[in-house]
Amino acid sequence: MTLKKKLQIKFAAVILLALVVGLLSYPQITRKVPKLYNIVSKPKINLGLDLQGGIHMEYKADTSQIDSSKVADAMQAVQDVISRRVNAFGVAEPVIYATKSGNENRLVVELAGVKDIDQAKQMIQETPFLEFKEEGQPDQTNQIPQDVLDQQNAEAKQKAQDILDRALKGEDFSQLAKDNSEDPGSKDSGGDLGFQKKGTFVTEFDQVLFDPSFKDGEVYPTLVESQFGWHIIKKIEERGDGDNLEIHAAHILIAKKTQPQPQTAFVSTGLSGKNLKGASVTYQSQGLSEPQVSLQFDDEGTKLFADITKKNLGKQVAIYLDGQIISAPTVQSEIDNGQAVITGHFTLDQAKELVQRLNEGALPVPITLIGQQSVEASLGQISLTQSLKAGIIGLCLVIIFMLIYYRFLGLIASVALLIYTGIMVSIFKLSGYTPWSITLTLPGIAGFVLTVGMAVDANILIFERTKEEVRRGRRILNAVDEGFKRAWTSIRDGNVSSIITAAILIEFGTGFVKGFAITLIIGVLVSMFTAVMISRTLLNFILGDWIENKMWLIGVKKKDTNLNEKNV
Amino acid sequence: MKKMFNIISKIKYAYIFSGTLTILSLIFLLVWGLKFDIDFTGGTRMQIQMANNLPSNQEVTDTLQDLNLKSLIVQPSANNQVLIRYASEDDKVNQQAFSEISAKYPGAVQLRVDYTNASVSQELKTNSLWAIFYAVVGIMIYVAWAFRKVSRPVESWKYGAGAVIALIHDVLITTGVFSFLGHFYGVEVGVPFIAALLTILGFSVHDTIVVYDRTRENLLKNSGKDKFPEVVNRSLNETLVRSINTSLTVIITLLAIYIFGGESIKYFALALLVGVTFGTYSSIFIASAMLVTIYNRQSKK
Repeated sequence: MTLKKKLQIKFAAVILLALVVGLLSYPQITRKVPKLYNIVSKPKINLGLDLQGGIHMEYKADTSQIDSSKVADAMQAVQDVISRRVNAFGVAEPVIYATKSGNENRLVVELAGVKDIDQAKQMIQETPFLEFKEEGQPDQTNQIPQDVLDQQNAEAKQKAQDILDRALKGEDFSQLAKDNSEDPGSKDSGGDLGFQKKGTFVTEFDQVLFDPSFKDGEVYPTLVESQFGWHIIKKIEERGDGDNLEIHAAHILIAKKTQPQPQTAFVSTGLSGKNLKGASVTYQSQGLSEPQVSLQFDDEGTKLFADITKKNLGKQVAIYLDGQIISAPTVQSEIDNGQAVITGHFTLDQAKELVQRLNEGALPVPITLIGQQSVEASLGQISLTQSLKAGIIGLCLVIIFMLIYYRFLGLIASVALLIYTGIMVSIFKLSGYTPWSITLTLPGIAGFVLTVGMAVDANILIFERTKEEVRRGRRILNAVDEGFKRAWTSIRDGNVSSIITAAILIEFGTGFVKGFAITLIIGVLVSMFTAVMISRTLLNFILGDWIENKMWLIGVKKKDTNLNEKNV
Repeated sequence: MKKMFNIISKIKYAYIFSGTLTILSLIFLLVWGLKFDIDFTGGTRMQIQMANNLPSNQEVTDTLQDLNLKSLIVQPSANNQVLIRYASEDDKVNQQAFSEISAKYPGAVQLRVDYTNASVSQELKTNSLWAIFYAVVGIMIYVAWAFRKVSRPVESWKYGAGAVIALIHDVLITTGVFSFLGHFYGVEVGVPFIAALLTILGFSVHDTIVVYDRTRENLLKNSGKDKFPEVVNRSLNETLVRSINTSLTVIITLLAIYIFGGESIKYFALALLVGVTFGTYSSIFIASAMLVTIYNRQSKK
């Protein structure tokens, strides 16, 4: 094959490539040829969540309760469950995958085009986490030491005695009540309790109040102690008699501090939603009673539940849903058929919803949201428009600069740059058909625009070199060859450093950085091809001796080429 | 032949200029530090679109008062939008915060919510430092390797050292500029800033390599009639137009992103813009100047 023939084939290949990527990048041009349009407009760029709107969530899975050999299974199960839930809500192509960071198991959920961020989050987080717990040691942490309690009560009693003394001296009772009473129900009305029959109050209080020697308008001369604290009582008036005797009284309460009831603490049993086979709505005996939720465990769950009920006979077993206790029935007998019932005062709708959610699957491990990036669809659209505009303006300005400064060579570089853009867009569009699908994000567009600026660098290097060689007296074609040859090491060495940093950025891994780095690395590689191979083919094909008399076209003054005695 | 600039004779001024900027940047960083955003501090940033008129910052703060949000910052922004940031440990707070707001201002829409838990931000911080470390080491090794054949009169690893000093200079000044912007204009730095720094590293070295490459070529061609500083100066002159033009095209595109690209990548573009500008300057005036300085020291011995 002659050199010329080879060049012609190369040139034809470039034209063909330009046509293909041109059509793929801008299919609208073929709109009048529907058959072609249907083909070339099919590949679409896969837009990132920041450009089409959506939510990216990163969850931490708490696998501490799970045997380490089963962690992988559990993570897979979480993924499956969330997939089912998300699919049920009709989100297009959700992305759900498990990752690891150090020893932490994480789950990433990406939902595109979601309008309501909070609702989206809820449909994942509301996945019920069902857990059975048994009674553990009573919680002692809120207990107050007895001596502290005694001290506080002695002070309270002294305070009550002081108020009583003041009331007996004739100070306004209702004002004293307003200022001091610790009975929230009567405090604001000056301690007024209204007319009450015998038996309304606690025994100690009643006994004093209905003591016949206690006269209307008097303040009882001693403090009355009840379970609530110390009362200062004033009898206002009485009406009726016998069983209908009603007494109108007022009181001031100084409350007594008591030991808080020890909380029954429930501890995990290892039985959880992952052992669930199914759930259904049932009714207690007759159809008229409250609906309840029946659970059927799998084999492992049946065994566990039998053990738990055997161990806890006569004690409570609590059923927790998403960390909230929903019922804590007392175990009557050992249950070995793997069936349990939750009675939680459900309405029929609540019971149905719970059953549905339980059947869709309970999460085998609890998850916590640790990172979220969400962008509302309209904002994504704005970002897309703005960044594309920035890209087009940047591209045009670079082309204008190249045309002004390098004239004919600049034109070639611009054509190469347009082909570069076309190839990049096509790679983005076609990657969807390969296992290495590339998602275009906002930083990705920024990276792309940046590579437009960098892509012409190789051409600038070559052209500067070519001009230099022309000035040294070489003929133009020869100079172009020399320019490409000599500039190549610089182009290669320079781009390797960009590739090193881009590769480190990809390793770095965060969404923003990754999108940017991937476009940068592809851009650098593609631009090396377009700036060197394509522009060289174009130049070799088009340039000829005709340019020797039109050197202004490549921006070299004719006189410069002849004044080179020093270097020739 | 075109006019030759005697760049090398002006080294002194370049050193004074760069030295001043570097020291200023270091002072900024020591005194003010950088203003980290939630990528590195953990917390929530919420951009909310109000349906009606924009409430005052105080009104929004009052609305959120019950939640006791730590380091709450409320900023109004264009088109009836408001930006809210606070330190948060749990995602529940985010939902509460927005429900308080949408209860008070019906029709409010969450345009963007970024939430980073402390463990994630810690991880990002560590990763960022490692990424910068690996990039610097990788580039140093690469430059030393690329120039392994040139060992006279200046050894190849010294080219690497020169390139690394130039890129530390670029990165320090860029960081200094953002320290300044952070202190006076509240500009925050997050993961995008780190990405920008790494890109600047790559770009700065790219530029330096082109100049070094020409020096290498001229040294191999040079039969010993020109002295080393003259060879460096000639190489600089020969690559000057290219260095400036390349940077111009990159700066043009970055300006386009900065001006038209929208809020979310504005400061990313700005960081690159500052870094690329200084990267070009340093590859001309610092990296090659270092070679000459090293050479002069060697010959004095």
